[in-house]
Amino acid sequence: MTSKVYVALRVKATPARAFAVFTAEIGDWWRPSGLFQTTPRAPGRLAFAQDGEDRRLIETLANGKVFEIGKVLAWEPPIRLVFSWRQAAFPPDLHTEVEVRFEAVGDETRVSVEHRGFDQVPAESAARHRFPDQALLARLAEYWQNQIRAVGERVS
Amino acid sequence: MADWRAPLMSAICYRDPRAALEFLEAAFGFELSMLIEDGEGAVAHSEMRFGNAVVMVGNEWTDDHRSPASIGGKNTQTVHIQIDTDIDAHCERARAAGFEILMAPETQFYGDRTYRCRDPEGHIWTVGQTVQAVTREAAEAASGLKITGWV
Repeated sequence: MTSKVYVALRVKATPARAFAVFTAEIGDWWRPSGLFQTTPRAPGRLAFAQDGEDRRLIETLANGKVFEIGKVLAWEPPIRLVFSWRQAAFPPDLHTEVEVRFEAVGDETRVSVEHRGFDQVPAESAARHRFPDQALLARLAEYWQNQIRAVGERVS
Repeated sequence: MADWRAPLMSAICYRDPRAALEFLEAAFGFELSMLIEDGEGAVAHSEMRFGNAVVMVGNEWTDDHRSPASIGGKNTQTVHIQIDTDIDAHCERARAAGFEILMAPETQFYGDRTYRCRDPEGHIWTVGQTVQAVTREAAEAASGLKITGWV
């Protein structure tokens, strides 16, 4: 078993629009957090990059370097998106997984994020800030709530 | 913390919080907004949203936190839900979700139609909908009570 953090919020848009904003405009709405730094550098600009059939979530830093946060594992617009997630401070073999779902509820969309496996970040890793599991996962939940809220502001 | 959180929130104890997440959604339309599971798959924390309010659904996480199911059905607090449409349908939905209806919808002297139900672990919930505008004087006359704080 691995840990799971699930958060969901409604946004005022159709699933198609919410999916499009989440993916195509991630560089515009993404809110970096010092607690979940993807790289030790200043936050860059996120994008879903496509190369043939392969899609990746990348971050382009101010110095032009590109950090790969993860590979897209499922791309099913407008319903579902799954990508792997790693931060530069993770051990090389650790990949966590993020699943994003877009579910129509009336004229709104319930956007949910499930981030699996974050408890596997080792105790000594800088990515954990010495937090015990429960505090770490609670902060991760707030981090993703904040991201969905940013999507909600972007669509409306 | 999330900016839409109400300043007061109830945290409700269940022996089986995962089942509670399902029956609270089925009965009341609460939406799961946060679920944290530890490495063993146990529910560490969860929150459900209803309008701009949130309830936390947790387990019996200390010796002093108990579900009514563990203490002979006793309740020391109840949560009230205020809705603005169709309370009778709301009650039927709760019944269909396995809740016991303790008091069917009834219009009260203060202008709200209310019902009371018990969830599968014994938590009592009250639900109300304002259906009539009643003045303080009329409510006092109807009930014989002295009412303070009713503008």
